[in-house]
Amino acid sequence: MPVKKILSLALVALFALSLGACGDKAKGPAEAALKAAEEALNAGKAEAAKLIPDQVAAAEDALKQAKELFQKKDYAGALSAATAVADKAKGLGAAAMAKKDELTKGWEEQAKLLPNMIGAIKSRVDILSKSKKLPEGLDAAKLDGAKSGLAEITKTWDEASAAFKEGALADASAKAKAVKKKAVEIMNTLGMQIPAAAKS
Amino acid sequence: MSDEQKKAPEGDPTDATQWHVVQKGETLSKIAAKYYGDPSLYPTIFEANKDRLKDPNLIRIGQKLRIP
Repeated sequence: MPVKKILSLALVALFALSLGACGDKAKGPAEAALKAAEEALNAGKAEAAKLIPDQVAAAEDALKQAKELFQKKDYAGALSAATAVADKAKGLGAAAMAKKDELTKGWEEQAKLLPNMIGAIKSRVDILSKSKKLPEGLDAAKLDGAKSGLAEITKTWDEASAAFKEGALADASAKAKAVKKKAVEIMNTLGMQIPAAAKS
Repeated sequence: MSDEQKKAPEGDPTDATQWHVVQKGETLSKIAAKYYGDPSLYPTIFEANKDRLKDPNLIRIGQKLRIP
């Protein structure tokens, strides 16, 4: 084999080795960054998942992609992606706290409004059940519908209150929203006035 | 009507108390017929408004009554 060809082959081999060495050097930091990102994410995940499930899912997805890059030996890519995940994880704590404040504030109004609405509906349904004849615009079928609706919102409100006491704020808030919507529907059926706070 | 509903301050956006403003020619029986379909249920309205009605036959135009 000519010397020139041997020398070029040696140069190519040296170059490939140096690339491999660089890759091996990048592997350690990438592995450490992935571990740190996973730990940061796991630290606050359980609590944050109840409040901001979409953001937590996005961070988990980003971690999965960072790991895939590592598996493909793209250590620079994995390092960059893991750093981004760690940043996301840091932001989750603050975002969860903000959401918690928002839900708690919203709950306070619902906790006043919804028992009032349920009480007013119950009172009206009880009276109409004693009536010899129903008012204009209301028939027996609609009244029965209002009674079933009342039972449903009473049950759901109890569940919402229990969820709030357990700290499941997102669940409590969603249930309260459903109660409000159904209560407005029932009040409209019965020809009742809707409280101002229920119109928003 | 619950005690909370009776005590709820007017103007509170969370208050679900039902109100009726007395119109000319109305009686408690007519108001009961409007909301309940049954004029004989007028005592229910009277009971809910004992803080402002001394006599079920004496109501004034413009008077604001709770309708349970």
